[in-house]
Amino acid sequence: MKNEILISGNEAAVLGTIDAGAKIMFGYPITPATEILEGFIKKTEVEPDLKLKYLQTEDEIAAGFGVLGSVLGGVISFTASAGPGHVLLQDPISMAENLRLPFVGIMMQRGGPSTGTVNYSQQEVNLAAFGGNGDGHRIVYSASTVLEMYQLTVKSFESAWKYRFPTIMLGDGYLGKMKAVVKLDREKSKVLAKPILEEKAISTNLRNCYSSEESFAEVLNTQYVEWDKFKPEIVESESYKTDGAKTLIIAHGLVASAAKEAIDTISKGSKKIGLFRPITLNPFDGEKLKKVAAKAQKILIIESSLNQLSRIVKYELAGMKLKFIEVSRPAQGFTSLEIINEIRRHNG
Amino acid sequence: MNRIKLFLAGEGGQGIQTIAKVLVDAAELQGYQVTYIPAFGVEQRGTPSTAYIIIDNKPILYPRFESADIAVILQERALSLVKKHVTPKSKVIFDSSTVPAKLIEHANKLGIPATQIAATQFIAKSFNILIIGKLSQLLNLDENLVWDSITKVLGKKFKDEKVKKLNLDTFKFGRSAIFEVDHFSKPVFMPMKEKIVRKGFGKHALILPERCKGCHICIAKCPVAALSKGDNLGVFATAVPEIDLEKCIACGNCFRFCPDAAIKVEKDKSAKE
Amino acid sequence: MDKIMPKCWKAESKPDFFCPGCGHGIVLKQLGYLVDEMGIDRNITFGIDIGCSLLAWNFFDFDTVQTHHGRTTSVMVGYKMAKPSRVAIAYMGDGGGYAIGLQALIHAAYRNDPVTVILVNNENYAMTGGQTSPTTEVGVVTSTAPAGKLAKFGPGFRGPELLRQVASKDAYIARGTVSNPIQFKVMLKKAIDNQVKNNAFSFVEILSICPTNWKTNARDSFARLSEMEKFFPIGEIAAEKEVK
Repeated sequence: MKNEILISGNEAAVLGTIDAGAKIMFGYPITPATEILEGFIKKTEVEPDLKLKYLQTEDEIAAGFGVLGSVLGGVISFTASAGPGHVLLQDPISMAENLRLPFVGIMMQRGGPSTGTVNYSQQEVNLAAFGGNGDGHRIVYSASTVLEMYQLTVKSFESAWKYRFPTIMLGDGYLGKMKAVVKLDREKSKVLAKPILEEKAISTNLRNCYSSEESFAEVLNTQYVEWDKFKPEIVESESYKTDGAKTLIIAHGLVASAAKEAIDTISKGSKKIGLFRPITLNPFDGEKLKKVAAKAQKILIIESSLNQLSRIVKYELAGMKLKFIEVSRPAQGFTSLEIINEIRRHNG
Repeated sequence: MNRIKLFLAGEGGQGIQTIAKVLVDAAELQGYQVTYIPAFGVEQRGTPSTAYIIIDNKPILYPRFESADIAVILQERALSLVKKHVTPKSKVIFDSSTVPAKLIEHANKLGIPATQIAATQFIAKSFNILIIGKLSQLLNLDENLVWDSITKVLGKKFKDEKVKKLNLDTFKFGRSAIFEVDHFSKPVFMPMKEKIVRKGFGKHALILPERCKGCHICIAKCPVAALSKGDNLGVFATAVPEIDLEKCIACGNCFRFCPDAAIKVEKDKSAKE
Repeated sequence: MDKIMPKCWKAESKPDFFCPGCGHGIVLKQLGYLVDEMGIDRNITFGIDIGCSLLAWNFFDFDTVQTHHGRTTSVMVGYKMAKPSRVAIAYMGDGGGYAIGLQALIHAAYRNDPVTVILVNNENYAMTGGQTSPTTEVGVVTSTAPAGKLAKFGPGFRGPELLRQVASKDAYIARGTVSNPIQFKVMLKKAIDNQVKNNAFSFVEILSICPTNWKTNARDSFARLSEMEKFFPIGEIAAEKEVK
């Protein structure tokens, strides 16, 4: 088939960074994100016309601040990390939140806390969406297929530069390592990048430190107004077979793909089961979720973490009289058969 | 073709992921939808290396599964992992020269003494090529496409025409190999469980296959070439050294350098002392 | 003669999961015999970094703790402050020590923290698949330096020499090699004595081999090690005479 290639999630992400126009990658070896660094570095060698650069830094903190330096100079750049590295990156990400810098990071979730496992989890949702100090805002996408590892990576750069919030593309260790046959339509970059330190006659002076609560509050409030203004443009979600569904599954990332497979298998019968899949975890498509959830009799929130997604869902649906069934498997995946069993168990 | 779910299990260093990469590459070339995901821990050797492969005509959403249609076990230590993925309907294929047949309690088990065939007729390292041959035939993958995938994935390792031909022969042998369905080969290619004690020439040596990883540092560090690769296998199924006590001068190098405390030579205490 | 391994090695954890031919085993064997001879197995705490060193977590029959990548020195500094009578050892690789953990090493040396750091240098990030590390030498090809490590980075990072610049004159700093186990065992003894008797910082780097990522057999691994020894001087790095 034209355009169909056998490719891994990490390889697809690398293509996404290049097609988005990224020119520099800063990174540090950490499983399961190392392949993104190695893949990007390979591109610097085999496609010299792209004029790509990279730096393997001394640690993740240096990598993150390197990205900030690069975007200040107007060059599209990014980092990729996981687990403990994702924790360290909260330092530079919070500077990006304060200064509205277009930081992009691809985070491949693994088991935590601490070194945990190198394999898989969905346990970095809190970290990705709310990990900074203060009330900063960052955009978080969650990829559920190898194709989305490409598409959402491209989108991450577009959103970061258009809306000026640091953006995280969340994958996981399974998605990074798995190979699939994908119809990859390569996109052309829509990112408009220009120096933030503008090198004009009138100088740009940026600070992230303020002396008084009041002056800081002014800055923060402007940010919150912008976030609320852009939210409807940024939010994304998918409602899969939710029309008339009495049982609603809420899941994101690769778990949502297993859920779709489960739904396709079961709904050959009479039971109507649907899936609400947030594509942005932050900002969250609460409006859509409210509509879909209102009609459900049973809601199963399925995730490979201890209620990190569930907490967001409950917040978004607060006030509605709904009962939630939380199906949590911290740091372990769900096969579609396991999801089918959960559905049957709770449907009696 | 209906969906086929294939689970491969072996150990780090056996080339399990190479088998997987070749099969999915060839399947994709043949127009199938495939997914493949490896699963292994942080260690490079000594722990299981497994792969989940799904081949179908329709798109596949999730790469891992509970029960395999075909489960392949290539190392005894990975047996417990395979059991999780096997149902009465599965086909269980195993290397009968390294995995004792009696440990596999299944009606539908198919043996192939791949390690033994590779070590005796071809080269030991190419046993995974033999497995690729047999599995690709079982999956109805085109022989030429599979060989193309092998050269694509392993091309750099085929240093000369002789090595390439040897691997091609191994592959072809695998394609036409017949499974053992009841009279299984004896698992001769298994790590030795006993200690090796050698005495003579005023010295005694102790070699422990249960700890020897076959790194051969002792052989490299012996100043008088008294150590050489033996026929016994150590814990990672690699060759344990054998010692020539006549040449040995009991210098202590092998003991000093062995990272795994698997060898020591001492002079016998003099009878006069 | 059945006891061909150190007494303080934990028999149940053997064979361990270090790769065949890994230098860690050679280092830990001499350390094991040293601990046996010094009789400190019930008085030692062994901090372990993240990388291949993490595989030593259940290696010994004494207290060990896996910490975070590059943070082992900091943990053992804190531990020693809490328990000054214990022998505190921080064990790490070249990535954990000289990249992410370099700041901690420099400050421990600078403050003369009475801990003993043992750094095993095999010139790559081995556990994640052999990426370039600060000690990788010029020209060596890895997945993060496909054209070979650039000459502008200079020769492999010389850690002991750097630490000597900021360390107290009482600090013991040395570099050994797994090609000479007798020698580095002496260095390790001096290092631990420096902690116990002089309450001072000690640091021993040990050049090591990595057959898996170097893709070398036993002979070639030691050949590459010989080449490394030309760049990384073996021996003690003495304090300079005081300037009057």
